[in-house]
Amino acid sequence: MAQSNNSIKKILTVAFALCIVCSVIVSTAAVALRPMQQLNQELDRKTNILSVANLYEEGMDVEAEFEKITARVVDLRTGEYTDEFDPDTYNSFEAARDPASSRTLSGDRDIAGLSRQENFSTVYLVGEDPDDPEQIILPIRGQGLWGLMRGYISLEGDGNTFVGITYYEHSETPGLGAEVNNPRWQAQWEGKEVFADDQAVAPAISLVKGGASESTEVDALSGATLTSRGVTNMLKFWLSPEGFGEYLARFRGEVSPDEAQDADVELESEGA
Amino acid sequence: MSAATPKGVLTTPIFKNNPIALQILGICSALAVTTSMSVSLVMTLAVIFVTAFSNLFVSLIRNHIPSSIRIIVQMTIIASLVIVVDQILKAYAYEISKQLSVFVGLIITNCIVMGRAEGFAMTNTPGMSFLDGVGNGIGYGFILMTVGFFRELLGAGSVFGFTVLQPVQDGGWYVPNGLLLLPPSAFFIIGLIIWVLRETHPEQVEENEFKMKENTQPKEAV
Amino acid sequence: MGIRQTLDNLEPHFHKGGKYEKFYPLYEAVDTIFYSPPDVAKTTAHVRDGIDLKRIMITVWLCTFPAMFFGMWNAGWQANMAIADGFASMDGWREAIMMVLASGHEADSLWANFVLGATYFLPIYLVTFVVGGFWEVLFAIKRGHEVNEGFFVTSILYALILPATIPLWQVALGITFGVVIGKEIFGGTGKNFLNPALTGRAFLYFAYPAQISGDAVWVAADGFTGATALSVAYQDGMAALSSQWSWWDAFLGFMPGSVGETSTLAIFIGAAVLLWTKIASWRIMLGVFLGMVVTSALLNMVGSESNPMFAMPWYWHLVVGGFAFGMVFMATDPVSASMTNPGRLIFGALIGVMTVLIRVVNPAFPEGIMLAILFANLFAPLIDHFFVQANIKRRLQRTGVPAEETA
Repeated sequence: MAQSNNSIKKILTVAFALCIVCSVIVSTAAVALRPMQQLNQELDRKTNILSVANLYEEGMDVEAEFEKITARVVDLRTGEYTDEFDPDTYNSFEAARDPASSRTLSGDRDIAGLSRQENFSTVYLVGEDPDDPEQIILPIRGQGLWGLMRGYISLEGDGNTFVGITYYEHSETPGLGAEVNNPRWQAQWEGKEVFADDQAVAPAISLVKGGASESTEVDALSGATLTSRGVTNMLKFWLSPEGFGEYLARFRGEVSPDEAQDADVELESEGA
Repeated sequence: MSAATPKGVLTTPIFKNNPIALQILGICSALAVTTSMSVSLVMTLAVIFVTAFSNLFVSLIRNHIPSSIRIIVQMTIIASLVIVVDQILKAYAYEISKQLSVFVGLIITNCIVMGRAEGFAMTNTPGMSFLDGVGNGIGYGFILMTVGFFRELLGAGSVFGFTVLQPVQDGGWYVPNGLLLLPPSAFFIIGLIIWVLRETHPEQVEENEFKMKENTQPKEAV
Repeated sequence: MGIRQTLDNLEPHFHKGGKYEKFYPLYEAVDTIFYSPPDVAKTTAHVRDGIDLKRIMITVWLCTFPAMFFGMWNAGWQANMAIADGFASMDGWREAIMMVLASGHEADSLWANFVLGATYFLPIYLVTFVVGGFWEVLFAIKRGHEVNEGFFVTSILYALILPATIPLWQVALGITFGVVIGKEIFGGTGKNFLNPALTGRAFLYFAYPAQISGDAVWVAADGFTGATALSVAYQDGMAALSSQWSWWDAFLGFMPGSVGETSTLAIFIGAAVLLWTKIASWRIMLGVFLGMVVTSALLNMVGSESNPMFAMPWYWHLVVGGFAFGMVFMATDPVSASMTNPGRLIFGALIGVMTVLIRVVNPAFPEGIMLAILFANLFAPLIDHFFVQANIKRRLQRTGVPAEETA
């Protein structure tokens, strides 16, 4: 028995048979469960978006609630909507990796530590009329202390007032930096303002230590200087003309897109 | 293991021959997934499933496995089972599978599974092997749940997600211990469990590797 | 005369068969505080040291006194300065004692500063001593050996490297971890490979970072945030550092920080005694110092635009943070350091290099000496191993006697 087990023929037969059986089992499981898994991923993304907009409640019908939200793809360079991509399938993280659909950031312009930034990004608009939304939800990401943090911010229809912030992926220190997802800390964002005045192009929002006094200041996370700095930087980046600044200009009213354009040019020439 | 009884193979791995505490296998996943009890529980169930069924299948075909490729055969079976478990978790327990992330996949490299397949299932009947797999999975899970209990209770003030000690961040009085949220803390807890186990089961204590020179005994200070 | 007699009268109760046989270690500890032990070591009394441990430990203990007294004054001074600037003092029993003894927060009164500092430091030390001592005695009784005097030193060192405002229950937890996990489970004094005081602090550092790091914990005034010199340099650069404190301020210790670590001068006074009595190894101290100087000089040359810590010169590294305290009191712990002479130099150098690397390159931890020493503790036996092996080989060549077994 042992002898015949070790014959070449037996070895090949056993190996082959085992591979067939196992691969059938594995692929059946993978194929059969795929729709379910995609549904879960989708649900997870939608839940995150809803919770940043303060619309999420435990046990609600996420799909139904998400009907209120319109997803659009925005060209970050011009601030215009584009129909080039389907917002449901467009993946900005993949786009940021592809040189054809992204640009390199370097030095002073890369304050969020991204090194590459996509040209198009998906935004989510809450409300019946997407041109006059109740809330604008923007994806943000940037370096924290230990690694990349990804999340969403939600602004009111004026493109200036915060509704909330949430991070769905980060690796900050538990108890310190990880407090970015503490509801108590998140709650103080409501009503804060991105820009110091209507004419401003550069966002003023920042995390400050020892008590926020201005409407553009939020209490820093206690004991987590570098995470707080990372959050400030990524907000300053994504809300500046480098990020969603051009796009937000259309909601802010006072600043005409042309002025923002000019300011943008200046900013870039400074950077160069 | 010659006179193995069904009850014996099922229960000895829990205290007497615990895979983590005595055999020191499968430590890595015990460090990674024990921040909360619900995650530990799912991981435990996944490991019980994989060890039990890999033992069963390996034992079923043990007489046909050529010894030259037996490790690969065991690996293939284990890997297939792990992938199936991973897929099921992603479909039916998405939140938890996100927290478990790669560690479900890493059950493949969990030495307990391989060790039992090679050490027990290759020489025992399918029924006994299955029970042995369940027993070792429970032994692994016992440590996991204990570690998870202390880490979640002291690190976040809750048990299975229910707040027991109200943390100060949420207006309570309990200051959570941040160390217990970091993976190395599991080392300390596992170490303390081993200490307790060896106090109650002195036969687990290893022989000294060397003998130290006699100290001056302070007992009789004359 | 009375003490010897009382002790002698009590003694039979603690011997085998006596009423209090279990508590012999306690009796022994009290007895040898007053009198030298009646029995002398015939072999190595402790694994690493053959000399009278108690005398050594008490000397080290006394050597920390300059740093301790200065630290108490400084903790009070920092708080009183902040209170003079309009911050509220912390209420509670400390304030009550303060009012009785010093009747006010005068920042230029030596006595008021000292009393305020003492109301913070002494409770920390007391808790350390009682809780740590409890574990020491428990293990001593359980294992039937005498209470080790090493705890004298561990307790004072541990208390000195904590910020003044740390909650006392955390002090208790930290020393418990340090003594039990850092020392006793390995067999007690002489067998621990980590420095117990630092182990306890490291535990607190990772478990309760909000109370032992950051900007709000160093000065005992309500709501006052004052960064340590290291974090000022880390966040705002060398220019900000030197505009806030002169080098002499830092050297003398007029800045916020853990109680015992601020004054490099006071620490060096203790160091002089330790070196003169040959209790601490000069090789370790030299190694730490040289390792720090070389690494910081190297990083100064490399330079960095985004990280201001690269620009910190060695003479600043020496006086900020816990560097001096760690070099003098922590690295030289005879049990957890290397024991071969060349090994001590290497061991020290490893600490110096790692301290600067952690301070400068690591983004998360402004202070590096604690982690560096614990790290080097782990390598101490390995370093010794190489030098012992090298010695064996050299001796073999000299004597020509073949080895019984080759390593």
